[in-house]
Amino acid sequence: MSYYKRFRADLKGAAAAGIITPEQAAKVWELSYSGRLFASFKAVHWIAAAAGLFIALGVILVAAHNWDKLGAMAKMGAFLLLFAGAAEASLRLEERPAAAIPLETLWFFMPALGIGLYAQIFNLSGDPVKPYLAWAAISAPLAAFSRRPLAAYLVSFLLFAVLFWGTLGSSNMLALTASYGNTAQPLWHWALALAVLAGGAALYPGQKLGMPLGAAAVWTFFMLAADTAIKVRSEALVLLAGMSLAVLWLSWSRRPDGEKAGLPLTVWTASVYAMTFFWHYKPHAYNSFRGTDTAYGAALTWLIFAGALLTALLRPQRLLPEGREENYVGKGLLAASMLGAFLLFGATESSAKLLGVLANFILAAFGVGCIMSGARNSDEKLINRGVLVITLTAVTRFVDIFGGLLKSGVAFIVTGLAFAALAYFVNRGRKALIEAVKK
Amino acid sequence: MTRLRIVLAAQLLLFAAWGGWLLSSKGTVAPEFYLETVPVDPRDFLSGTFVALTYKISAPEPCRKVIGSRSFAQVYVKLEEGLFSATTPAGPVKLYEATDCAEHPGDGVWVRASVQGGGAGPLRALYGIERFYLNENDPRKNAGSGSVVAKVKPGRRNALVLLDLVQKL
Repeated sequence: MSYYKRFRADLKGAAAAGIITPEQAAKVWELSYSGRLFASFKAVHWIAAAAGLFIALGVILVAAHNWDKLGAMAKMGAFLLLFAGAAEASLRLEERPAAAIPLETLWFFMPALGIGLYAQIFNLSGDPVKPYLAWAAISAPLAAFSRRPLAAYLVSFLLFAVLFWGTLGSSNMLALTASYGNTAQPLWHWALALAVLAGGAALYPGQKLGMPLGAAAVWTFFMLAADTAIKVRSEALVLLAGMSLAVLWLSWSRRPDGEKAGLPLTVWTASVYAMTFFWHYKPHAYNSFRGTDTAYGAALTWLIFAGALLTALLRPQRLLPEGREENYVGKGLLAASMLGAFLLFGATESSAKLLGVLANFILAAFGVGCIMSGARNSDEKLINRGVLVITLTAVTRFVDIFGGLLKSGVAFIVTGLAFAALAYFVNRGRKALIEAVKK
Repeated sequence: MTRLRIVLAAQLLLFAAWGGWLLSSKGTVAPEFYLETVPVDPRDFLSGTFVALTYKISAPEPCRKVIGSRSFAQVYVKLEEGLFSATTPAGPVKLYEATDCAEHPGDGVWVRASVQGGGAGPLRALYGIERFYLNENDPRKNAGSGSVVAKVKPGRRNALVLLDLVQKL
């Protein structure tokens, strides 16, 4: 059950029990639900947005047919009339969302149609990223001033898509990776890329930090890992940067009251899971990837690590629900997931194996923490998450390390017995808790 | 509502002004000439079918000394009649070649280019004439290497304007 569904049910229950009046319940619900992204969007509005999207794409493709018998002035005039008509109709029908939403979607796509049409008429070519940046820049005011979040969401998505596409390329105005045989990209590319990132984050609708922060974290990691001016090449720094970014994303994006674990928690868990494979690390197996760490990249990595460590220690942890024990366990696991990377500095095969073991312990402790906390708070979802993490880790290790049928079979039995023991103790703990409350 | 109307007016004004600029650039009084080109035929979903064009002047060796170790630079390339010619339906035409490169334009036909590369790597100059858009049924979209020449002329601020893709006889 989603947070909002459960909250609504709780409010109804509270109203039915006479704790609050039905009017108060309705007002609290309205206040809470209005903060949600696309809160005002009903199913029909989504269909309307899809209608606008299809019409806009259809118009673009019809124009792309290239009506070469028509003169330039006629084409440009028709475009400007269509542009003005769609936008004006969207404004006039503001109070009728079923009509205004497809028209606003069409309005958002109009600059793209214009840029494409002008390129067609005048045979324009050049930087592949420029038309998309121009489209986002021209549509940004619409995104900022529109009453609905749709245009803001589309512009933000467009900016993030262009950021990743452009910066990972090597021959466009946003390119940050070095092309073969050439020197580093100019500094102004970085300024432009950061402006695009800031623009995408600023225009993202609602109060949610999670998605923009996630996009920024993933992009930063790509820039550190790719052949850019801030590249890091030693495995220890790459791992330190990756885990620190995962911790930052998890710590700053997830709301304390959010029931959904969300993408940041999945990414953190997946990162720790990936770390378990350092068991197979061979120090000389990655020579082709090795190179020199750049000073900027190393400095940025240490800065990210310092920020993530302070965040893990000082901010409320988001790994497990709130609670005294949970806080200790959550903060400890977050810190351990980053500090484990230090085992890779001057790594030998044994220190890498130690890192693999540590990652397994982190996952196991996280899983047990989820089960214990879930049992205490009667949260089945949390218990299931804990069981899933432990099961996935255990099954991977059996296949990964033991290999043979006999050893794997015995390991499965041992794990099954461990789960049974855990279930027994969890149940006893719950009973003790209920008895303590009765007394 | 008022703010959005201002936004709309600004957007329309931008496209009207840009269109006017492009129209006037195409209409400038300047000599038209031809460039040898190697076409391929991809498709752009924003603007439709086009022929991607690479020119002999796309790798202007005179620019190597100007760009030095930079990976990117805005330069001016001098174009002059070369030794080769092509036969078009309008008769034989001389093909132009890149003969000089500088930070600032001089006398003659100097056109603006963005040059990427430098050092020991390959040079790639972009003039803004690398795409010729045509109707999706136009047979020229399948033009083979060496079968067409590009008709161009300098527009405003020394930017090359692509006028036509002419079939060689």
